Amino acid sequence: MLAYVVRRLWQFVPTMIGVVLLVFFLFSWVGGDPAYLLAGKVSNPEQIENIRRQLGVDQPYTAQLWIFVKQIASGDFGASWSTNEKVSEILATRLGPSLTVLVPLLVISTILAMAAAMLVAYVRASITDRAIMIGCTVGQSISILVYIIVSQYVLAYQFGWFPVQGWGNDFSENLLRYSVLPVIVGVIVSLAPDVRLYRSFFLEEMHQDYVRTARAKGLSETRVMWVHVLRNAAIPIVTNVMIQLPGLLVGAFLIERFFSIPGIGREVILAVERSDFPVLKAVTVYVAIATMIVNLVADLLYKAIDPRVELE
Amino acid sequence: MLRVLVLLALVLPLASGGADPNKVLRVTFQTAETGFDPAKVSDVYSGQVIDAIFEPLLTYDYLARPARLVPNVAESMPVVGDHGRSYTVKLKQGIHFAADPVFKGGKRELTAEDYVYSIKRFLDPRNRSPYAFLFEGKIVGLDEIAVRAKTTGRFDYDAKVAGLEAPDRYTLRIRLRAGDFNFAHLLAFPLVGAVAREAIETYGDDTNSRPVGTGPYLLKKYARSSKIVLEANPGYRGKVWDFSAGDDPRDAQIVARMKGRALPAIGSVEISIMDETQSRWLAFQRAETDIEYQLWEVAPTFMTNDGKLRPEFARRGIWLDRSVDPEITYTYFNMQEYIGDQPNPLAGFSKEKIALRRAIAMAYNVDDQIRIIRKGQATRAQFPIPPGVAGHDPRYRSSIPYDPQLANALLDKFGYRRGPDGYRTRPGGAPLVIRYSSMPTERDRQFDELVKRSLDTIGLRLEIHKERFPELNRLGHQCRLMMRTGAWIADYPDGDNFMQLLYGPNTGQTNSACYRSPEFDRLYEESRSMPDGAERGRLYRQMARLAEVHTVWILGDSRYRNVLLQPRVAGYKKHPVLFSEWLYIDLDTAARK
Repeated sequence: MLAYVVRRLWQFVPTMIGVVLLVFFLFSWVGGDPAYLLAGKVSNPEQIENIRRQLGVDQPYTAQLWIFVKQIASGDFGASWSTNEKVSEILATRLGPSLTVLVPLLVISTILAMAAAMLVAYVRASITDRAIMIGCTVGQSISILVYIIVSQYVLAYQFGWFPVQGWGNDFSENLLRYSVLPVIVGVIVSLAPDVRLYRSFFLEEMHQDYVRTARAKGLSETRVMWVHVLRNAAIPIVTNVMIQLPGLLVGAFLIERFFSIPGIGREVILAVERSDFPVLKAVTVYVAIATMIVNLVADLLYKAIDPRVELE
Repeated sequence: MLRVLVLLALVLPLASGGADPNKVLRVTFQTAETGFDPAKVSDVYSGQVIDAIFEPLLTYDYLARPARLVPNVAESMPVVGDHGRSYTVKLKQGIHFAADPVFKGGKRELTAEDYVYSIKRFLDPRNRSPYAFLFEGKIVGLDEIAVRAKTTGRFDYDAKVAGLEAPDRYTLRIRLRAGDFNFAHLLAFPLVGAVAREAIETYGDDTNSRPVGTGPYLLKKYARSSKIVLEANPGYRGKVWDFSAGDDPRDAQIVARMKGRALPAIGSVEISIMDETQSRWLAFQRAETDIEYQLWEVAPTFMTNDGKLRPEFARRGIWLDRSVDPEITYTYFNMQEYIGDQPNPLAGFSKEKIALRRAIAMAYNVDDQIRIIRKGQATRAQFPIPPGVAGHDPRYRSSIPYDPQLANALLDKFGYRRGPDGYRTRPGGAPLVIRYSSMPTERDRQFDELVKRSLDTIGLRLEIHKERFPELNRLGHQCRLMMRTGAWIADYPDGDNFMQLLYGPNTGQTNSACYRSPEFDRLYEESRSMPDGAERGRLYRQMARLAEVHTVWILGDSRYRNVLLQPRVAGYKKHPVLFSEWLYIDLDTAARK
């Protein structure tokens, strides 16, 4: 196990080099010259040159790349070009609101999707199964924007059940008051594709020999489904959930924008609009690191869930 | 002694004690602020907060239109001498910065040296001030220090500047390189408020979040990109609402309601950043916000076609304040002979080149732009200076009509023949392609379609060039865009701020058309030596006509600003230049109930 983990950690290095090079050249070549954005309405060539010098974008690409590598190594990505706020502070202060919404969203949607998927898989080909599957297909084909706009208008504005938007100062207020509608919207949106996907995992397991054997041994249906089937179907489900985890770092930008949640997703959009590369570079690098770590954890979890899995 | 007591009795109640802490104004920003250091920012949202915290020497009469300068921190209007080259301003005494730990518990009085320091900061290369252009090349001796700073890496704030002096504690003397009768407007620019040097030096890189000014409000709470709370500055000297009604019929109502009130009346201002229109619109309808103006997309929901508030909203006591923004939009033609190493088919002053530009201008329907893109929320611009700005001529009419038929005839006459594919070639038969540049946004796509439709009607082939905003700016500065639509909003309410957009030496900066006409430049230089008045107005009309003769721009529109107000907001009227009106309004708590 330890040898496996060490080997995987070593594999992080070439992956990270690839990410760094991709991010660096993408921003350097496609991103445009930020000096023209920061210079304001009126600028002359000397001012543009002054800004470029201060940002360091006048240096050769090799020097800029070396600075970027040092930033990653030190974890200090400097300050935002547009607000002068430290990038580390931006990430630290915006991550909390994103997680306040996305963690409950992920937990609730995973539990509900698993339960619903197991149910429809169990009653496969019944009217309930067909109705839920049609509902999922329809639900999946509607844009998240529609869910947000309609729920904000109907549930918050018309019925007054939730605040239209906003964010408070303390965690409990944010979780129990401002996050409820965004979480509901997020759950509805993710439920449809997850139920369809998880249903297929359950169906595959339900036709395995060990299920027939369990039933032949006289085990109750509850035990067959919740213990035997669920445990085996959990491996692809864990993969799916794990894939979503790095996404927590970038937030859900549409939900954050519409509900005025000061999270990372909103900040990323703002950084794109402002060509604020230090913020964008930091977020991209952290998401890459999180993805690699999560993948490793997912592999270790497979082993924990199913001892037959061999880590090579 | 008795006089002093009477004076104190009059002044003390004003000292921001007038602000009722129970009156909380709730407003929104559509985009996150960038910070509150006056020398470092340029966005309008940060400007609104800065306007409430810092104070420039002069300000504007709240109701007068066109905007009229009045003293603010200055005792009186500046004494202008030497044909607009010298400005002397006397400051009021006894004005203090808001209490801040940087002053170590003491009171810190505002002095003329603070303005010397604050103005110098705009040229400090380390600040990368987007508004450096306001002072660049203007004040005697100031640019030299900035040039030295570029080589030494340090701006010498202690160096004497011959044109920027404080001969005594309360006198500021400015000497300009050339006569400029508009310079007083710069002293009223909301970002030219005084900062305290010790605060700037103490807070270093964090000045964007630690503003310390002398204005009516101070920053109480600040969650970046989310919430900003301002609170009435307890040390503010106070003002009395004392403005006279202008021609607008609503003015009398505002005067009757506000006259004599101690300012600021509002105890705190809560600003929420709401990016999406639907969120702002629903929040306003639920009375969660008091003032809302960035609602272009839903304007037909609350307004009739003739710009009136719909009855269902009027019945609820909601107010609509409608004004024309001090801005123009225009589509410019690049006047340089070459774009990179390629000949520019639009450039030049020959008859056939002017005919080509004129035909494009005549084929472009500005009314469609207003109807389709602006959704009716704009008015056609006839003159390069918009309404509400000194120098605007409401009687002036553009000599370029919308007439595609005439445009076709013009092109036929000057030898732009149609080929078998229906598209025209140059007079010599060479291919003719017009390249229009725009951003990859939904709004710009609408502009693309409108330009394409216009050019199709006269048989001109169009190529759309898509780029991001910074890159378009770069190419524009280098005169490498053939045709692009831009906008200009007033930095100060004077026609000079608009006419300079066509001044030859401003090529590479604000003159995006790269237009160099000796005749226009001569008229512009002459206009600069004049104060606002009939004579300058005559020159402006000549300049506008000359630009039409050469057809450098297709003049577009000026957008309406529709501000919705809850019934409890009293005394609001959008000012064309001030960033925020919070100081001059009140909240009627009874109306809320």
